[in-house]
Amino acid sequence: MITPSREDYLETLFHLESEGVASTTQAIADHLQISAASVSENIKKMAIERFVVHSPYKGVKLTAKGRAVAIDVVRRHRLSERFLVDKLGIKWEEAHREAHRLEHGLSRAVEVRMFELLGNPETCPHGNPVPTLSGKIRDDHSHPLASLNVHDRARIVKITDEEPKQLRYLASIGLMPKTQIRVERKAPFGGAVIVRVGETAYALGNDIARSIWVRKTG
Amino acid sequence: MTDGLTEIGKIRGHAEFVIALAGNPNVGKSTLFNELTGLGSMTANYPGKTVSLNVGSSSHGGFNFGVIDLPGTYALGSVSEDQAVARRAILEKQADVVVAVVDATNLERNLYLVLQLIDLEVPLVVACNLMDIASRQGIRVDTPRLAELLGVRVIPMTATRGEGITDLIRACRAVALKKEHPLPLLPVYEEGLSGAIKELSDFIGRERFSPPDGLSPRSLAVLLLEEDEEFLARLRGEAGKRVAATVGEIGAVIERRSGEKSGLRVVRERHRFAHHLSRLVIRKNSLDAPLSTTFWGWTMDPVKGLPILIGGLLAVFMLMYHVGGFLSAMFDLFWTTVISPHLRDLVTSLWGVGVLSKSVLWGVDAGLQAAFSVGIPYVLVFYGVLAVLEDSGYLNSVAFLSDSLMTKIGLHGKSVIPFMAGAGCNVPAIVGTRILSNRREKIIACTLITLVPCSARTAIIMGAVAFFLGWAWALMVYLIIFAVTLTVGRLMAVMLPGQSSGMIMEVFPFRMPRAKILFRKTWVRFREFIVLAVPMIVVGSIVLGWLYESEYMWFLTKPLSLVVHDWLGLPEVAGICLLFGILRKELALQLLLALAIIQQGPHIQNLLSFMTKQQIFVFALVASLYVPCLAAVSALVKELGWKSAGMIAVFTIVVAVLVGGTANQVLTLFHPWLF
Repeated sequence: MITPSREDYLETLFHLESEGVASTTQAIADHLQISAASVSENIKKMAIERFVVHSPYKGVKLTAKGRAVAIDVVRRHRLSERFLVDKLGIKWEEAHREAHRLEHGLSRAVEVRMFELLGNPETCPHGNPVPTLSGKIRDDHSHPLASLNVHDRARIVKITDEEPKQLRYLASIGLMPKTQIRVERKAPFGGAVIVRVGETAYALGNDIARSIWVRKTG
Repeated sequence: MTDGLTEIGKIRGHAEFVIALAGNPNVGKSTLFNELTGLGSMTANYPGKTVSLNVGSSSHGGFNFGVIDLPGTYALGSVSEDQAVARRAILEKQADVVVAVVDATNLERNLYLVLQLIDLEVPLVVACNLMDIASRQGIRVDTPRLAELLGVRVIPMTATRGEGITDLIRACRAVALKKEHPLPLLPVYEEGLSGAIKELSDFIGRERFSPPDGLSPRSLAVLLLEEDEEFLARLRGEAGKRVAATVGEIGAVIERRSGEKSGLRVVRERHRFAHHLSRLVIRKNSLDAPLSTTFWGWTMDPVKGLPILIGGLLAVFMLMYHVGGFLSAMFDLFWTTVISPHLRDLVTSLWGVGVLSKSVLWGVDAGLQAAFSVGIPYVLVFYGVLAVLEDSGYLNSVAFLSDSLMTKIGLHGKSVIPFMAGAGCNVPAIVGTRILSNRREKIIACTLITLVPCSARTAIIMGAVAFFLGWAWALMVYLIIFAVTLTVGRLMAVMLPGQSSGMIMEVFPFRMPRAKILFRKTWVRFREFIVLAVPMIVVGSIVLGWLYESEYMWFLTKPLSLVVHDWLGLPEVAGICLLFGILRKELALQLLLALAIIQQGPHIQNLLSFMTKQQIFVFALVASLYVPCLAAVSALVKELGWKSAGMIAVFTIVVAVLVGGTANQVLTLFHPWLF
C-alpha cells in the first residue's frame, strides 16, 4: 500500500520533471509547501523503497517504478477533475482541491467506469492530457514557456494554472492558447521572463511562465 | 444613482455633466485627470472595497464638469477588485459619459477595453493619447478612420502638453448632454459567436427577464457568454433560471463547435477584432531605438542590472542623507526660533506651567517638530525620488530582476514598490500593499515592511550607531535587519497556506517623467503620511509627555528589567525608552539621553558616558526591529484588521528580543576583539 503522502511526492516529482525543473529538495518543498528537512527525510525513505534515485548534485529522479505510480496518481487526479467539473458542475478551483483528495482513493474499477461515463476524455479541464489506463501519456509536444531561450518564438498550447480568475486575466491581456509570443529576456536563477505579445511586453513570474505551455515556432 | 458615493454627489452639485476616465494602466490616464482637475481632488471608496476612485471637478472652455478617474485596468470583468470597481462605477452610471483613454503606441491591446465598453453600450468617447510618443516611434494613427469604424468620437491627444483637451471636453459634452448616443458600431464577431449572442439576447427578451443595471439584452448576453461570475450569479428568479439554463446550452454548443469554452471564445474574438481594427488604422515606419531604450535593456540585464541597482540605491540614500539632513537642520532652526516660543507662550497662557501644560507642549511643540523634521526632509525627499523611479519605469526593471528573490519570501517582483516606500515611512508603504492581489501576500508584505527601517529608525541607526561606533557598525545593523527580513519572509512563505499569485506586469521602455506628475504623486503620498502619522505622533507625544512629567514612567522600569537588563544587557532606563518608541520611534534615542541626564546628573555629555558601544549597538538593533510606531500599527489595523495587526506587533517584539539578545551574547563573547 502506497500512502497518500508518498503519492503526493511522486506526483510532485512527475510535475517537476515534466516542467523541466531540477527536482531539488527545495523545489519539492516549495511545491508541496512543507519544510525542506522533512522532504529530504522522506526522499531518503523513498530511495530505499526504490521509488526514486537521489544523487547529491543532480537532485531526485523517479525510477520506472516510481514513475508508474506517479502516472496512476496523475490519471486519477485529472480524471477526477473532469468528473467533478463535467458531471457535478463543480468550479475549477474547487475541482482541483477536491481531486487532490479523490486521487488517493479511487480503485481501478471506479476509474474504468469513470472513463466510460466521461466518454474517454483526453484532457483535464485545464488542458493537460489524461494518461491512459495502460499508463501512456499523449505527448502534445509542448514545453513550459520558462524553458525557452531568449529570442525564441512560440505559440501557446495550454495554460495549466488552476485558478480560473488568473486564466481569465491572462486571456484578457492576450495570453491564451494559440497566441504567438516571443521571449525577450530572462532573469537569472530561474527568475522572471519577459515575453512580447503583439506590441506589449509583459514580465511574468517564473511560476506563471512554468504554467504556460508552448510549442516553438522559430 | 450616486448613493453611497458622497464625493461624486458633491462634484455633481455644480457640474453640468460628469466624465469617467477608463483605460489601461500607463496610458496617461492620471496625467489627463490631473490636467483636468489640478490638485483639488478627493478619493471615493465603494463600501468594502479598498480600490479607490479619484474624483474632482473642473471647468474648461466655460463648462463645469466632474471627473472620475477609474482604476487602470486591461479589461472590465470581475477577476480583480480594481476591474470590478471600474465596471461598477460605469454600470451604476456614476458618470454621464465614459472616456476610454487609449495608448496610440499600442492601440491593439488598448482597443480590447474599448470593445468591451462598446459591448456594454455605454455613452463613449475615445481619447487617443500619447500621440507625441507614437509619432516619435514612427506610428501614425488614422483617428478619423477609427472613429468611423467604431462609431464613436475619437480625439487625438497629448495630455502631457494639454493638446486635444478642449476637443475632448466638447465631444464629452455633446455625448453627455444631448444624449447624442452616436450609435457605436457593435464589434463584428465571427458568425457562430454573433449568432449565439443574438440567440441568447432574443431569449432574454422573450423571457421578459430584465437585465440588471439597466443593461440591454445584448450586453447581458455577451457578459453571460463571457462566463462573467458576477452576472451569472445575478440570474435570479424563475426567468433568471431559464436564462441560466439557456446560457449553459448555448455555451455547450460553442464549446463543441470551437473546441473552447464560450468565455474564452468571446475574449479571443474581441482580441481578433481589436487586431483587425488596429491594422486598418495604423501606419508604422520602424525607427532606430533611442538611447534610453538601450539603457533600459541594461537595467534588466543580469550582469549590468545588479550594479546599476546597487549604485542607484546608494545614490538614493546619499541623497536622503545630505539633502534630507540639510532640510532637517533648516527646519529645526526655523521651528526653535520662530514657532516654538509662540507655542510655549500660548500653551502656558492657557494652562499655566503645570504637568498638563508641559504634557501638551510635548505633543504640539516637540511632537510636531519631530514629525516635521523627520517627515518633511526624509519622507518628502524619499517620495520625490520614488516617484522618479516609478514614473521613469525603472522600478519595473527592479521588479523584474528581484522577482525570483521575492518569490522565495512568498511575494513577487511587484511588491518591491511598497518595500522601497517603506524605507521612507512604513505607513504609506503598508497602505501601498493594496496593489497586491491576495490576503496572504498582503500579510507577508505588511509584516516584512514593518521590519524595513523607516526614516525615523534610520535616524536612530545614524544618530547612535554610525555616530558613536562608525559606519561599518551601522551597515552591520542594516545587514542584520536585511537577513532577519529575508528569514522571516522565507518562514512565512513556507508556513502560510496558499501561494503567491505570481507577477504579471507590463514593462515598457523608460519614459521621461513629467515634473507636474512627480510633484503630485509625491504630494499625495506625503499627505497620506501627514494625515495618518502626524496625529498619532502628536497624541503619542502628549501621552508620553504626561507619563514623563508626572513621573509615572519610572514605575515601568522594574517589570522590564528582566528582559532589558538581564537578556539584552542594556541599562534599565533604556527599557522605558524602547517602550515609548512605540509612540514615536526616533524619540527612543532622544529620550534615552534626556533620562540619562535626569538619572545620572548633568555630567552626562553623550551616550558613550553611560552606555558602552555594545549597548548602543544592541539598543539600535532592538529599536529598529520591535513594533513599528503607533501610526504604522494603526495603518496595519486599517489594512488587515485588529487580529493580524496585533499578531504582527507581538511577533516583531519577539523577533527584536531574540535578535537583540543574541547580538548581545555574541558581542559579549567576542568583546575583547571587537571594541
